Order: sequence, then structure tokens, then C-alpha cells
Amino acid sequence: MTTFYDEVQEIRARYPEGTRSAILPALQLAQERHGWLSREALEEVADALDLTPAYCYSVASFYDMLHLDPVGTHTVEVCTNVCCGLVNAQAVLDAFERELGVAPGETTEDGAITLRAVECLGGCSTPTIVAVDHRYRQSVTPEDVPAIVGELRGE
Amino acid sequence: MSETTVRVAEGPALVLAGYDGEPLTSLAAYRAVGGYDELEKARAQDPQAVIQELIESNLRGRGGAFFPTGRKASFIPTPDKIAKPIYITVNADESEPGTFKDREIMLKVPHRLIEGCLVAAHAIQSSHVYIYIRGEYSREYEVLQAAVDEAREAGLLGGVEIVIHRGAGAYICGEETALLESLEGKRGQPRSKPPFPAISGVYAAPTLINNVESITTIPAVLAVGPAEFAQIGAPPDSTGTRLFCLSGNVERPGVYEAPHGITVRHLVDDIGGGLPGGHTLKAVMMGGSSFPVMTPDDLDTALDADALGAKGYFIGSGVVTVIDERTCMVQFALRVAQFYMHESCGKCTPCRVGTRWLVQLLRAVEDGAAQESDFDLMLDVCDRIIGKCLCVLGDSAAMPVASCVTKFRDEFRAHLEHGGCPFGADSQLAGLFAPVDQHAHTAAAEEAPV
Amino acid sequence: MSAELVRVTIDERDVHVPKGTNLVETALAAGLEIPVFCYEPRLGEPLGACRMCLVEVEGTPKLQAGCTLTAVDGMVVRTARTSQQAAEGQNATLEFILVNHPLDCPVCDKGGECPLQDLTFRYGPGNTRMSFEKLTFEKPIPISPTISLDRERCILCYRCTRFSEGVSEDLQLIAANRGSLSVITTFEDLPYKGAFTGNVTELCPVGALLPTQYRFEARPWEIVDVPTVCGLCPVGCNINATVREGKVKRILSRNHPEIDEGWICDKGRFAFTHLRAGDRLTQPLLRVRRHGLEAVSWEQAVDEAERLLREAHGRVVTVFSGSETVEQVYALGTLLRRGLDSHQAMLPEEISGGLDAYRLPLSSIRDADVVVVLGEVPVVERAPIVDLWIKAARRNGARILDDADDPAVAEAERVVLIWSGPGGRGGTTVAKLAEKLGLAERDGCGAFYLPETPNGRGVADAWAACCDEEGEDIDSIGLLVVSGDEAAGDDNVRALAEQADATIVISMFGGLAAGWADLVLPGTGYLERDGTFVNLEGRLQRLRRTVTPPCPDELEWIAELAARFDVDLAPYPAAIFAEVSQRVYGSLAYGEVGEVAPLRGYPEAPEQVARQPLPVPEQKARRGQIRLVAYKPLFSGPAVERVAELQFQRPQPELELSADDARRRKIANGDLVTVGSNGSAITLPARVNRRLRAGIARVALEHSDGLHGIVEIAKAEKVSA
Repeated sequence: MTTFYDEVQEIRARYPEGTRSAILPALQLAQERHGWLSREALEEVADALDLTPAYCYSVASFYDMLHLDPVGTHTVEVCTNVCCGLVNAQAVLDAFERELGVAPGETTEDGAITLRAVECLGGCSTPTIVAVDHRYRQSVTPEDVPAIVGELRGE
Repeated sequence: MSETTVRVAEGPALVLAGYDGEPLTSLAAYRAVGGYDELEKARAQDPQAVIQELIESNLRGRGGAFFPTGRKASFIPTPDKIAKPIYITVNADESEPGTFKDREIMLKVPHRLIEGCLVAAHAIQSSHVYIYIRGEYSREYEVLQAAVDEAREAGLLGGVEIVIHRGAGAYICGEETALLESLEGKRGQPRSKPPFPAISGVYAAPTLINNVESITTIPAVLAVGPAEFAQIGAPPDSTGTRLFCLSGNVERPGVYEAPHGITVRHLVDDIGGGLPGGHTLKAVMMGGSSFPVMTPDDLDTALDADALGAKGYFIGSGVVTVIDERTCMVQFALRVAQFYMHESCGKCTPCRVGTRWLVQLLRAVEDGAAQESDFDLMLDVCDRIIGKCLCVLGDSAAMPVASCVTKFRDEFRAHLEHGGCPFGADSQLAGLFAPVDQHAHTAAAEEAPV
Repeated sequence: MSAELVRVTIDERDVHVPKGTNLVETALAAGLEIPVFCYEPRLGEPLGACRMCLVEVEGTPKLQAGCTLTAVDGMVVRTARTSQQAAEGQNATLEFILVNHPLDCPVCDKGGECPLQDLTFRYGPGNTRMSFEKLTFEKPIPISPTISLDRERCILCYRCTRFSEGVSEDLQLIAANRGSLSVITTFEDLPYKGAFTGNVTELCPVGALLPTQYRFEARPWEIVDVPTVCGLCPVGCNINATVREGKVKRILSRNHPEIDEGWICDKGRFAFTHLRAGDRLTQPLLRVRRHGLEAVSWEQAVDEAERLLREAHGRVVTVFSGSETVEQVYALGTLLRRGLDSHQAMLPEEISGGLDAYRLPLSSIRDADVVVVLGEVPVVERAPIVDLWIKAARRNGARILDDADDPAVAEAERVVLIWSGPGGRGGTTVAKLAEKLGLAERDGCGAFYLPETPNGRGVADAWAACCDEEGEDIDSIGLLVVSGDEAAGDDNVRALAEQADATIVISMFGGLAAGWADLVLPGTGYLERDGTFVNLEGRLQRLRRTVTPPCPDELEWIAELAARFDVDLAPYPAAIFAEVSQRVYGSLAYGEVGEVAPLRGYPEAPEQVARQPLPVPEQKARRGQIRLVAYKPLFSGPAVERVAELQFQRPQPELELSADDARRRKIANGDLVTVGSNGSAITLPARVNRRLRAGIARVALEHSDGLHGIVEIAKAEKVSA
């Protein structure tokens, strides 16, 4: 099995030598493996890139998709920007809050699902856009919510 | 759960040429509609001649800045004048609220984007292309990556390496220098210009940065010929077609290719089918959320940069988002301001501090806790942001807010008189708060009281 | 190379500057100030973040940042002095900066010397229009025992993070989050650790990053900054000692562009509190049988010293620390050599004049094309600032090599050699290499040897200058005179004392002399002395007395003793220096040494290095073998040991191993390893260092238990609980 270190070296090879360009792909890879960017994950990335954990943390904390706190096995991200908002994103978000029993930014008690309210996802003509495990669901209505949650819970 | 409407609404099919509802994701499908013919033609030409054609076509950037694409390419030094590699960076970080066209390009005609990259690479004699795609676009990434792989296997890349670099969720990375910083593995904070990327871009080497739609239009320019292209749309400046992004309170939202110069009203009423449910149009988010909102009296303005500019509007990334009478414009301004506060990179003072202050002021208005004098204060804060920041994000926050305060002052005032929002829960945006600050997880930052 | 000059009109003044000069510097050249916060030329490319430097440029509608915009011929610029637009822009910036600033100047240590305070008075609004809750943070946060962070005062100019990334390159102090929630922080609240962290407290233009030692200690109108030179390592950084009511309260850098560029290390900055250590001696101590050491009067102590000197009958051996001033050594040498005909001394380290033909200012490292760093002692541990110059060279595109035979060396125009030890025979070895490479009198070429002591060269100069006689060898030690704390703390010196009939120790600290000295004479510290030092460049520099020592100056009692032995010695540094200078420093007058001393070199430089073959380095490890280098860490020694805030900086007990050697022995990071040689062994956790050469292992001296040279290294057996 290739180690994380080796895999990152392969990513590094895509970019000119001596640059730090591999950091986002490396952080994304670490997050895929650990679920989130724990202290250990950041240390691993730093080691593979010959950087410090502090630097990796500094970069990671800039980006919304990199999680520096634990998240659920699944993520539900509801677009709440203007275009979806004009066509009832609030009701969709409310429905998820009710169905999951958590507020945006929180994870269900069983650690299964994290609900997030996010900025424009670029699907403005089919509101409301909900990214379920990073796959867009278009034209989601409050009525669709129980089925989506059920699907994630394996029902 | 319906699919996005993507079609040629009127005029010639350029970016969407050959697309009739079936995505042209395979090389064979794209070849069948004449795909990569323009690349072959371009490669037979002198690089400078290709740049010249782009200049003649007056193709302008579709990302928002509307800078002439050919001229930008002409600023790149030729390889004999510089010892560094020359790079092309495609901005696929589509994040401007209301914009969803680049995503459709990547899903529907990915090979045309690749063909555009390769033509551009030939023109500026580059062999390194980075496509910076926003991290949320995972399916789009896969489709595009598959297309790149297929093109490579077919030997079309001709020694050009195309690397797709995925972002990780930061609106500011759509700003070209922030994109470069992010691509270099740093926090995506914009750089001061000059030096411009054409001279010192990624890895301090000459870099051509173009939006997905701009690059994808390049093969079309060669296909119809620069002189012909320059006649399409609203010459002399707004040439060619555009993928307009129609959304909001409209019957048939979607991505519509149409020539520059059609009116907003035509797009909304005729192409988009007007407002549903007998609602009336109150405002248009014109160009994107970064610009002044349009009021109904300007609906007959042509969607061309000059005509819009004359009335203080921007064509931006081709966004037309319809807002009907149910929406509270204070809520709209607040939601937009929250977006920019959330997305401000934190590098320069006016943007970092000003966006948060504007949110506080707008929140006070919405809650009925403001005073009349706060309206002028808001305008002054906007004025103190605009033109004084390191990049345009500050302006992008201030312009829509200032336009709302100015154009809907009566509605703002009604909040004071009413002791709160007169629209209440009936407004579509009621209660919509900005995303939780998911990156403010350091124990250090206490909850921002806004 | 002279750059093309361009003409710029700024506030109606014409000025000519090299093309590419930014407008802040252009304005300075015209005698005008453009106010700044984030701009700091020593941090590399300007950032343009704070927006304080906004100016109006004719032909450009928007205000421009003066720090990032560069001068173009014919440019017409207006600063806030003549442009309403620029004045409003600056006013706006200050209003925004103050929106979240707590305005707690009355309780802020920065108050009175704060750029934010000053610029607000000059350019800012008199009132605030912000009526909402400000951003609040927990405060102050200790980002290390030596530095505290107040995030509410922080204006996010990114000076500190740019220092950490682009100067010290430690990448530890960082910005986290985005937008209005951006904060300065370290990783996981770990302390900001490293040789240079304290510089961020001087870079910070507000009261956000402050030295904890200075907290609530003084106000700017109560203090005086005394210019002197740091005496803790051979670099000799120029410093200011902030003094209030006779006490040193903090150490600040004092930019010497050729030596330190205004950076100092944390030892130089924070170790000064050793002056007030608990075991600081103020009274002489005399051994009284059965009672141990007892405090005695100075009269009695000097009588006692005279008695011990006389009883030694010329069999006196003196041991120096290398931290004495030239004048102290000359005085003591004069007393012993001329008064008692005692010429035996142990100088702190080997000194060679061979390097004098290859002298360069340290700043020339930055401009080199190739820098060859030889030796396994980390440069930062011996001469910290040199490490910053090497990093600057690398950022400038220089190649940093560890092998003088690399072909790049022969091809390069400007070559600088640096010998970091161990070994090196006081610079002889590197001087020979320089000779072999033909570096003499080549522009920008030169060589440095990093000595182990701050003034080893000056000590040797002075000892040699005070007498021409050599004296005869002695067969036993009548009296051992131990000068200084480093010598007093050295186990070998203590072993020597056991062979001596009697021992006099001159030391600042009781802890170092108790138990083995017969007479202890309290010493002074470098911040309490007037005199001269010679640094590793061979640069003569002036130390100034910043505070009065709590005991008589060494020169005072040495002169008194000298008189008892009929030696004429004036107890004044200037007078003593005049004598030394005549012999060694080209008759330079004391007053001419200078506050920002030039590199004069030695007018009568000793001869070139003898033409011998290059010596073979001792104990070269064979393939597969490992040579252990035990180095003296920067954060060690009598001063550091007495500063509680610096203890976190001391090296962990660990063994650095190259990746190669670790892999071969199946050793991973953190594994316990046994290091052995000749029957003795130590067990330490391993740290794999990918930058370390194969065949080398490294350990801090204090964790080496005397081991060095060829060793056996193996993974330790698992110890069951």
C-alpha cells in the first residue's frame, strides 16, 4: 500500500519543484482519510510537504471546505445565498434542521450527518441547491428533505 | 429535482455550438460537431496571428472585468524574451452569487474548454495550463478530468500539460491574484497590482488568466472568424454572445446563450417567461451580487457593457436575478453584506473591517434599531471602502449596499417607522442568516456579535 | 550597477530616485513622510494591506498604496499634505483600524511609543462613529513565556507572520481564519519557539505583541535607551538597553546593517534578567575552614587575593571565558604577567589570524552566489544571526552547499565559506580552503569561522598585547585564576582546580563558584561594562555600561592589586584600550571605535596561513558508521540557566538522525534509541531530520553525557512497564 507520504510526493510532482502548490490537494487527501483535519492529519501533511503544521493550519483555516473540527460521516450543505433564498431556501434549511434535530454547523448526535448552511453553490436556476456528500441535488423542496435524510441513514 | 435549462436562446450558437441537450462529454461526440478543428487551424498559424485574431474579435473577459482577451494575451512576453516558463491559468472558481454558466460549460462542452486552452497555449507559446476549479464542483471536476485524460490519450495536448487544481471553498479565489496565491499553496489573499499576472503571475512567471467562458469562446472566434465575431452582439465593445444566468423569481430560469445587446426585459419576460404567480418585479441583481441593483425603470437597458455602464450598472458575469415585490431590500442588502463579510480575505483593512461594520448597521436597520442618520453613515462607510481596498471585493460589498440604501431609502426608512421589518416573515429572505463561520473554529475567535 | 533614475514630483517637490523605488521611499528621499503600518522593507516585498499609505497619483482616479506602487518617470504624486482625497483616504483607514481597537492606551505597554497612537493623533478622526460591539478576544494570550498577544489591539498588518515566514522562516506564527475573524496564532496553542521570536515584538506597530518581561514595567518618558553591543555570542549584535531607575528593563535591536539588520536572537533579547538572578554575587566570598564560603569586605578580599598571588610564587594559571572585554583581559594580564611573571593562561578557544585576509561584513553573505556551510554544528546554535543571513542569501537565489568541492563553487562569482564546527582550528581550516579556492581579494568573496565564545579573539589579542615575554613552563599550579562564568561552569576547569593549591574565581553567580573556590570575586555582566569586543567578523565594537553593577568593576580591584605589585595600571577602559590599541588595533582611539562600528580589519594582519596540506578532519566516519556531534545549544550557559522565561527554549533530550541512518536501523520518529561508545551509553528519543547528512547524528551537549565521535546507535529494547 502506498503511504500518505508517497502519495503526496506524487501530487508534488505535478507542480514545479520547490513550490507549495501541493498543499491543497494534500490537505484534501488527508481530510478524505481522516474525515477532518485533526492535529495528527495536519502534522502528517506538514511532514510530507516539508512545511510546519502551523503553516498547514494557516492555509486550511482559510478555506470553508477544509474542516478543522470533526464532521459527520455525511454532510448536507444547503445553499442559503440570494438566488436560492428568493425561492425558499430558508424552508429547506428549516426542514433539515427539524429532520436532523441540529442547527447549521452542527452534527447529529450519532455523528452521522453534519448540516451546513453555505454560500452560493452555482446552481442558481434550480433552487434550492443542496450538496449531499458533495453531490448537488437540484430544486430541492422541503418535501424532499425526509427522503434525503432517510437515504443517508440507510433507510 | 429538475435539471438546469441550458440552451441557445437566440442568435448564433457559439459556446454551445453543437449542444442540443445531449452533453458533448466524449471526444467522439465533440469531434462529431467539428470539435478540435479550430485547434488544428490555430496550430497551423503563427502564434502572433492567433493573438491578432483575438484582438480583432474584441472578445472580452466573461468573468466580470470585461478586459479584452486578445490584448491580455499580447502582454505575455514571448519565450525568447524571458527565461521563465509561461503559464495559462483558467479561472473555473465560479463563485459569484447568481453565476452558474461555467459549471454548465464544463458539464456540457468540456472539450471546447480544453480546445480553448490549447489554442491559447499555442498563441502565447505556453505548455503549462492550470485549471483552478472551485472545490464544490466535484462532478464538474470529474467530467472535465475525464475529458482532459481522453484528449491526452488522443494525442491532442501536443506537449501541453493540463493540470486541474481544485479549490477548497473561498469566494476570493475567483479574484485572479488570490487564485494565483491559492494555486501556489498559500492562503488565497489577493496581491497588489502591478505587477500584473502577464508579467509576474504564478511562480512569478508570465501568466495568462482567463475565465472558463472566455477561453471556451476562443474556438468560436476562430470558427466564425474575428471580423464576423466582432459584428455579433453589440459592437464595438460588447461583441459575441454570452451565457446569461437567469435566476430568481422568474418562470423559466436557466443558462441562455444570446448575443450581447438584448434588453434585460427581453431576457426576463420573453426568454425567461416573466415572473410567476402574478408577482411584480422590484429589482434585478444585475451582473452578480457585487454590483448595484437594477430598478424596474431600467429594464429596457441593453445587456451590453456600455449601455449598462451609462446607467451605473455592470454586466459582470452575465447574471440577471429577478427579485419580486415580496422581498425586503434591507434583508437583501444584509444577506449580500453577510456574504462579503464571510468571504473577505482579511488582508486589507477597509474590506476586513468595513464589511463587518456594514453588516452591523444593516442588522440594526432590519431590527428597527437604527436611526435616520445611519443611512448616511452607511453610505459614507461604503464610500470609504470603494476604491481604497487592495482588490475589488470591498467594492463588491459596498456597491450593492450603497445602491440599496440609495434606491430603496423609503423601504429602509419604513423599518425605522415600523420598529422592525415591515415585510416580516413574508419576505423570501426572512431569517436567512449567513453561513456559520465554519473556519472560525480556533478557540481564539469568540463569536462575532453580528 | 547604477539603476536608471526617474524624476517624480511629490507634493510639488521634485526628486530623483532609481526606477522601481516605491513611493514611500521616494517620499522619504524628498523629505516627506507617507505614514505606514504594514510596510517594513526588511520583511521583503511590500504587502499593501493596511492602506495607511494611500496617495493620489495624477492620472489615476483611485488612491494608490504608496508602498506597492513604484516610481515612474514624470509621475506626479500627492500625499495627504497636499491632497484632500489622500487625506480622506488615510482618515478612512484609521477610522477602520480603530473600529475594533480597544483604545486602551493608558494600560498598554506600547503607549507613548506606538505608531498607531502617533498616526492617529496626526491623521486620524477625533471621534468614533462605531456604535456596535467590537470584536472581543480572550487576552492577553501568552504565545510563549516571553511574548504575549492581545488580539483586540492587533490591526492585522501581518508584519509578525511575514517575519516568521520570510525572515526567520520558522513558519510558526501564522494567520488563521479569514476576513474579520482573522487572528494571529500558533499551531494548537503551542509556544512560539525559535531563536528569533522576540523580533515580532519590535515589528508590531501596536500593542498586540509585547514582551512579557516588560509588562507594566515602564513608561517611555521614564526610560533611557543605552546603545551597546550584545555580549552573548560572537556575532555582537548592536542593541539598546532600555534602562529605568538603574535597571535594565528590556533589550531592543539597534540596526547595524552590516551585522544584524536590526534582528536579534531571543537569548540576546530576553536573557538580560540574569543580571538580577537570585544567586548574583555582590560581596566577595572567602573560604573559611569548616564554615565554607563566607562573605567578606572588599578590602579583605583584595588583601586575600594579594596573599594568594604572592604565595603562588609565579605558578599562576589563568583560565578565561571568552566573554571578558579586551580591557579586562589586558588588565588582568598586565597584573599577572608584568607583576608576577605568570604567563600561563588557558584561552577560551583556538584563534587564528589566517582569516584576516578573507574578512567581509556578515551582510555580504546575503549577496553571495554560493554559500558553503561546513560543519555539523547548526549555525543558529553558535551565531544565530548568521543563520538569518544564510536564509536571506537562499531567498536571493544563492545556492547553499555543504561541500566546497561542489563544481558550483568554482563557477560562482561570489563565494562565501562558513565554518560552523566542530573543530576547524580557530578558522585555520576554513582559511586554507579559502586560499585553495583563491578567494583573497575577490569581490564579495570571503570566509567566516564561527567561534564558540563571544570575544575569543579580543581575549587573545589582549593577552598577547600585555607582555612580550613567554615565561617558562610550570610543573604545578600554585594558584588557579578562573575568569568569568563560562569558565567557572566548566567541569574541566573544576578538575584543574583540584590540582591547584588555591583557586580564585571571578564570577557573577554564587552557584558557579560555591564549593570549590577559595576566594570568589563578584564579576560584572556585559551590560554593566565599558570596553571593547571583537566579533566573528574581526570587527572591534564598543560595549557601554548601561547600568551600574552591584559590585566594583573588575578594573577597579585589578588596578588596586596591580599597584601592590608595582604595576602601573589605570582602572579606566579608555586608558587601557589606548595601550592595547597601540599594539593591536592600529592606535585607534577609544572614542573612535564608534557606535555603529565599521569593519576595519587588522591593520597588521598576521601572516597568511601556513602552506600546509589541509588537515584531515578528525575521526571521519566510515560508510555505515555514525559520528555523533554534541553541540552547545544557543539556549544554554550561565545566563540562560538563570532566566525562567527561556527554559522552554532549551533543547529537548533527543537524538537527531538522518533519514538514511534511521531507515537502515528501522528507527522512526520518537523511538527510543541507545547511543553508545566505549562501554558508556545513553538512551534518547530519536528525531529523524531529513536535512541531516547520513553518517551524522546530533545531540545537545547537555544531553550527550560526554559522548561524541564514532558511536553505535540502535533502537532501544522495549522497556516493559
